[in-house]
Amino acid sequence: MRKIFIDCPEQIPCNPCVHICPVGAITIEGSITNLPKGNKELCTGCGLCVAACPGQACFLVDTEFKEGFASVDFPYEFLPLPTVGMTVKARDNEGQTLTDGTVEAVIQRESSHQTAIIRISVPTKYAYLVRGIKPITDFVKAL
Amino acid sequence: MSDSGEKSYDVIIVGAGPAGLGAAIESGKAGARTLLLDENQKPGGQLFKQIHKFFGSKEHFAGMRGFLIGEKLLEEAVKHNVEFRLGARVWGLYPDGCVTATDEENSLNFKGKKIILATGASENALSFPGCTLPGVITAGAAQTFVNVQHVLPGKDFVVVGSGNVGLIVTYQLLQAGANVIKIIEAAPKISGYGVHAAKIRRAGIQILTGHTIISASGRDQVERVIIAKVDENFNPIEGTQQTILCDTVALAVGLSPRIELAGAGGCEMTYSKTLGGVLPVHDDNMETSFEHILIAGDLSGIEEASTALDEGRLAGCRAAYRLGLMTLEDYTSKKVMILNRLAELRCGPFGNKRMLAKEEIWKKAV
Amino acid sequence: MEESCLNKEKIVCRCEEITEEEIMAAIRGGADTLDAVKKSTRSCMGFCQGRTCKRLIASMLSSYFKRPIEDFLPGSLRLPITPIRLSILADTAISSDFGNEDAHA
Repeated sequence: MRKIFIDCPEQIPCNPCVHICPVGAITIEGSITNLPKGNKELCTGCGLCVAACPGQACFLVDTEFKEGFASVDFPYEFLPLPTVGMTVKARDNEGQTLTDGTVEAVIQRESSHQTAIIRISVPTKYAYLVRGIKPITDFVKAL
Repeated sequence: MSDSGEKSYDVIIVGAGPAGLGAAIESGKAGARTLLLDENQKPGGQLFKQIHKFFGSKEHFAGMRGFLIGEKLLEEAVKHNVEFRLGARVWGLYPDGCVTATDEENSLNFKGKKIILATGASENALSFPGCTLPGVITAGAAQTFVNVQHVLPGKDFVVVGSGNVGLIVTYQLLQAGANVIKIIEAAPKISGYGVHAAKIRRAGIQILTGHTIISASGRDQVERVIIAKVDENFNPIEGTQQTILCDTVALAVGLSPRIELAGAGGCEMTYSKTLGGVLPVHDDNMETSFEHILIAGDLSGIEEASTALDEGRLAGCRAAYRLGLMTLEDYTSKKVMILNRLAELRCGPFGNKRMLAKEEIWKKAV
Repeated sequence: MEESCLNKEKIVCRCEEITEEEIMAAIRGGADTLDAVKKSTRSCMGFCQGRTCKRLIASMLSSYFKRPIEDFLPGSLRLPITPIRLSILADTAISSDFGNEDAHA
């Protein structure tokens, strides 16, 4: 199952994740600058937080996506969008390419205000390291 | 006074950014005859350049993109009968509440019982050989090109400064299809939010800390820049120079409160490094050394749009209270609510310094 | 000359094209405040009215005299705060009690 994974490292005043979650799986205790906690038991994997987080710090990880592969859902705000089946460079928080990934889904919801959610599959060991992909910059090819 | 048609208002607000809009909404809501002046043709200040989702709480429209927040605020101001005068460049403020402006053709004179200055900030400059070459621009200018005019001012960028402005503008340049080669930062670590930095590092942009720009050169415009490592005193280290080929340098080296109008109006000034430099002394009611001149937003210390909005609201309420349009009870309860929200925005490792700096300023006003 | 800026000139005041060297010369020559530098070099007197260079000049003064930068800021702030046509100025009603000496200048 896809479950929430939060990588929100700094205490900044921010809490849209708490309000967007329909099942109360994200909580911030006390001050608004405290770090959010994700409750994997409650999380239904809807991904609303992934698109809503202004800091792009919410992810969904499914460690049992396929034999040997995990899926990672992350926000993506560049055009063109990748397409399902495309091979992409999966990157960590520092921009290092970890591995090749395969695009499994491209989710665009009106409520997400132009932030797409991309789901890629990567070898399971990278499940909690992947934070995004190398943007697809070849506009001409993509068109 | 001459007969050139001086119009009177209860409250005149200079600057229609988040602080000015917040002030206008509250003063209009309280029933004050409110005029909002701005030199631009469109209200909103920097809000309409902000295409990213904002931090904050629900009350600050967190999670919403900046320009949409701008639209919401405008709508609210219009609803409360705020009069807008756009394309009006204010050039003078007199202690009697007279505000002089021009639409470039005519002189426009207004008189207000209360004046709220929300003039915002200006971008800091950097001087280096070649800094006047075409292609050297500020980050704010790059943002205007890309997000307002929808034009890329260059192809290959070097961004100087890794504060939130530098990080956000870099992200938006990437979204617009520009090639950002590097961000360089003189400090030993990235100065903006980690989440903003992560967004662009994930996209593959390197943030080179401990480096400064030495020069820009080119025949008719920027063709290359030389950067170098700096020592702990920010002096370039010999032998560490490297050349980067690029056509645009975007400078994001900080903001300073835009104090000219407040200063010319006679407001007492103070200095706070944390809050961006010289700014008018003010108390926690946003009143300056002149009771009838209030300030809000970046003018009262460089912070963020959300804090500007709330400071504006506070100034608007204070003006309404002073004009007798709001009871002391109402004002006090609003003030407590707003100050509590501001205190939330000013806590945590980033905000706390600003809170302490603000308290220092408030003390000076007593 | 192959390139426009082979000379190592650092322009500090863009509007009036005043270089760092010219400002340093003024400081060495006795200009010890922002206003003194301004009066002796024309820096801060251009279109932006010092919004760009004031801070840079203040930091030069600060390192030369080894005093904090706030000792040198903000310099005089006077009307009009942005360049306007003389006709606008002439048109404008001027109240007699503006109490700001600079405004009379």
